[in-house]
Amino acid sequence: MSVKERNNVHVSGLGASTIFFAHGFGCDQNMWRLLAPAYADRYRIVLFDLVGSGLSDEAAFDKTKYASLRGYAADLAEVVREFGHGPAILVSHSVSGMIGVLADNAHPGLFAAHAMVGPSPCYIDDPATGYVGGFRREDIESLLTTLESNYLGWSSTMAPVIMGSPEQPALGVELANSFCRTNPEIAKHFARVTFHADHRADLQLLQTPTLILQSDDDLIAPMDVGRYMQAVMPRATLRIVENVGHCPHLSQPGACAEAIDEFLAANAL
Amino acid sequence: MTLPDPPSAHKATTTPDPFDEVPCGLVRTDGRGTFLRVNRLFCEWVGREPAELVGLRRLQDLFTMGGRIFHQTHWMPLLQMQGSISEVKIDLLCAQGPDIPVVMNAVRREREGGFVHEIALFVARDRDRYERELIGAQKRLQLLVDTEKKLSEEALDRAAYAEQLVGIVSHDLRNPLSAIQLGVVALARSKPNEQQQRILDRISRSANRTNRLIADLLDFTQARLGSGLVAHRLPMDLHAMVAEAIDELGTVFPQRQFRHVTSGAGEVLGDLDRLTQLIGNLVANAAAYGEPGTPIMLSSEVEAGHFAISVHNIGRPIPAELLPRLFQPLVRGEEHAGEASSVGLGLYIVDAIVKSHGGSMAVSSSAEFGTAFTARFPRAAAGDPAR
Repeated sequence: MSVKERNNVHVSGLGASTIFFAHGFGCDQNMWRLLAPAYADRYRIVLFDLVGSGLSDEAAFDKTKYASLRGYAADLAEVVREFGHGPAILVSHSVSGMIGVLADNAHPGLFAAHAMVGPSPCYIDDPATGYVGGFRREDIESLLTTLESNYLGWSSTMAPVIMGSPEQPALGVELANSFCRTNPEIAKHFARVTFHADHRADLQLLQTPTLILQSDDDLIAPMDVGRYMQAVMPRATLRIVENVGHCPHLSQPGACAEAIDEFLAANAL
Repeated sequence: MTLPDPPSAHKATTTPDPFDEVPCGLVRTDGRGTFLRVNRLFCEWVGREPAELVGLRRLQDLFTMGGRIFHQTHWMPLLQMQGSISEVKIDLLCAQGPDIPVVMNAVRREREGGFVHEIALFVARDRDRYERELIGAQKRLQLLVDTEKKLSEEALDRAAYAEQLVGIVSHDLRNPLSAIQLGVVALARSKPNEQQQRILDRISRSANRTNRLIADLLDFTQARLGSGLVAHRLPMDLHAMVAEAIDELGTVFPQRQFRHVTSGAGEVLGDLDRLTQLIGNLVANAAAYGEPGTPIMLSSEVEAGHFAISVHNIGRPIPAELLPRLFQPLVRGEEHAGEASSVGLGLYIVDAIVKSHGGSMAVSSSAEFGTAFTARFPRAAAGDPAR
């Protein structure tokens, strides 16, 4: 099976460097629709789905390989090797931030820069060290229950209905049929792996310049987490975006693009 | 409203707000989730006054933690991407009493430079209960499947172990047995008296039977474990082989008559020893279950594409219910038919020999025509090295 099919890779844009957009938990590459086009005239753009999400090849899903984020990191490295031209920049959302850290640490030099949107190395509080991740273990169990009942029974693949979006008529059937489509079993597995991951120790090994785009009001990755990451990472810049929620690239694409542009310019990319 | 107002309605100073009249929860929030408007039913559900919510709280504040994570990771991005979302199920935290499971439909609209979300909510207690039952049933089923899988793996392990044990024991029994047989031969040379000779004959017969049993057990384990029985096919004369086998069997079953019919030229490829063994097993069966005093008929036929060996006896037919498992190990006829019968491996080994030649077995059994076992073999199997 090719990497292109496995990860549903789409390449567009022109430029000397390549930006890889890695989506986060719960969604797929469509969540970059508002942000990625802003880069297509200056960079090569590579969009892809993590295995088990979107239109990735479901047959490639393997519980053992993806029992930790390292499985996804190995896939990411393959995508970058196969589709990258020139310096590679990773723009990652949520859990993909850590997937990028793991891929970079395993293959030093793979990326020239990381721009992480709402990253978190560890979602669960660690009272022993005073680390605040934002959640307790039972919160994550509660999420799994919620996911279960939202996926269950209604169909084997979750394909949400568009009830009519008067403001965005451009979003057609194609989007409705792919966005957030997830096999419920894989979704629960991914949730468990994502929210139980603890990659705090990997952060300090990352020597690549990193931008942390932190929403000022994000339940999933609270401010404490952004500050923590900036403190422990060797070359991290923290930028706060005024935004409620975990997806500033959807709700505040302009502010995100501005911060990313500035960061790329500062690193001559 | 097309219906006339009820008589008491004219006393009301204000017209009822349709927002409050609908039989579902209605909520309007801004893009960040802050309540802009709530209807009466929604307030009743969550046990709060509108004044406690509007402008002060956010819709997601009324979700459980799992619901809030789901909201931020799934349905908010979805709503931002596609402008609407339907059938999202979530638990609402109530000021008093237990959480209420609701299903929500939401639309996102741009209003005066910002976004508003219009949300309709329906209580979904039954759906929630149904889901929980389904999830419970699914988990129980999974548990049963896992247990079943484990048990069958254990059973397979035990069976393989038992078969290995049978193989080892029968192999090791051959040494003491050959000592017994050699002893009988040595004693027979020392001029025994008549009574001693009878005892020696009995020992000898018993030792021969034991030998056959062991050979069967060894064949059985070889057929069940590992690669199965292997046929070493060489050119041979089928008719001559059958005739010779009958000759030998005549001494084992002296009270039986044998008839042999042949058809075609006898030249075939086959494992002479295995086919002799096959005839021996079939004849032993025919002698055991056939009507005493009736002949056993054997036929060997060779045609262009195949050859066949058939053994026929007259007697009571094989019970119909036994036919489907006749070639399984440890299956025997209803009656124990004398000394010739063994532990029930004979037909299993016959079948294994036929299969090792790429052939197949057929049985016909009726009161009128008796019982016939027919082994059919292809003349030259594809890929046969001796071809």
